[in-house]
Amino acid sequence: MAPRQLKGHLDLLLLAVLDGGPRHGYAIIGSLRDRSEGEFDLPEGTVYPALHRLEEDGLVASRWSVIDGRRRRVYQLTGHGAAALVARRAEWASYTAGVDAVLGRIKPARATTRATA
Amino acid sequence: MSDAPSPEWIDAYLDQMLVHLDGRARNVRRILAETEAHLEDAYAAARAEGLDPDRAAIRAVERFGAPAAVARRFQPDGRAALGALTALAAAALLLIGVGLVAIGVSGVVSMVMRSTLGSSFVAGDLDGVTYTPERCADFLEYHPEADSCGAAAAAHHADEVETYRVAAGVLGLFVLAAYFVWHRVRPRSGATLARLPLAVLPAVGAATFGAAGVLLSLEGLSVLLGSGRPAGPGQWLSGGVVALVVAAGFDVLLLRSLMRPTPIAA
Repeated sequence: MAPRQLKGHLDLLLLAVLDGGPRHGYAIIGSLRDRSEGEFDLPEGTVYPALHRLEEDGLVASRWSVIDGRRRRVYQLTGHGAAALVARRAEWASYTAGVDAVLGRIKPARATTRATA
Repeated sequence: MSDAPSPEWIDAYLDQMLVHLDGRARNVRRILAETEAHLEDAYAAARAEGLDPDRAAIRAVERFGAPAAVARRFQPDGRAALGALTALAAAALLLIGVGLVAIGVSGVVSMVMRSTLGSSFVAGDLDGVTYTPERCADFLEYHPEADSCGAAAAAHHADEVETYRVAAGVLGLFVLAAYFVWHRVRPRSGATLARLPLAVLPAVGAATFGAAGVLLSLEGLSVLLGSGRPAGPGQWLSGGVVALVVAAGFDVLLLRSLMRPTPIAA
């Protein structure tokens, strides 16, 4: 998926990754790439501003931690973040159901057109 | 892999990030520390895949994205725009200062031309130009040593060429001094110009002073080589020569900036 298409959904994806537990930025990006099977391979630097924004909004919290001998900023969901994730998941499910419904209606019509052509 | 990250690429990247970041020092430090930690992880991962140190570091910074673009995402929209405008204003101020000083130097060159080739070479009138007796009297009052009204007029005009240009040069020195004092007083502003792509300022300087140098020199040569008595080619040639020298200086800076290796476009 192109980074531009992903932009509107990045917050939701980051919250979902952090739902699995606290992670530092590099691990969040790796998890995003692995769980999407390489589909979400966006410029890595774009994730950090999004994490900072989520922190300003109170949806995630962060702290410095030493992991494998290196100092890293570790992010975790806040209570507000967990609630926001539930709400956004519901919105996404509703949205994708709507898109699927529309695409599902269009597909047979195209097949009919081809068959009659 | 236990070897340290290549400082050349990762440090250069962090330096570029720094010049594009505004805001509280604490926040800027946090962003840089997070970025450095990420790049070190990415570098170590690339080394573990078998890439050599340079390629590993380059891949790490390329995957992170252009430093200016990443830094912009950390800034509120208004602040990023303000930073860009400030960088353009600083570049314009520097070019104006250099331009004014160049005009002042051309005034000094005019003085040298005048002392060796005479006032008419610097600011002589075209054939057929005449003055009223009152105006001639004024010129001769300023230059009683002149043996004719035309010679006195040329000397007076050469005075003006030199005086106004040197005054412009002094003003230019004040502009440049103000620019450097500003950087001293506000250390973070020292990074202002670095927000622009490295080649922009030298390219604009080379183009502007180069064009001015060529036009002024052509005008001076056409006056010098034209029919009749040369009518003050020195005022054009002095400006043209100095402008071409300044343009050559910017050309050298431009060449250096284009040859300087950067891991990723700013």
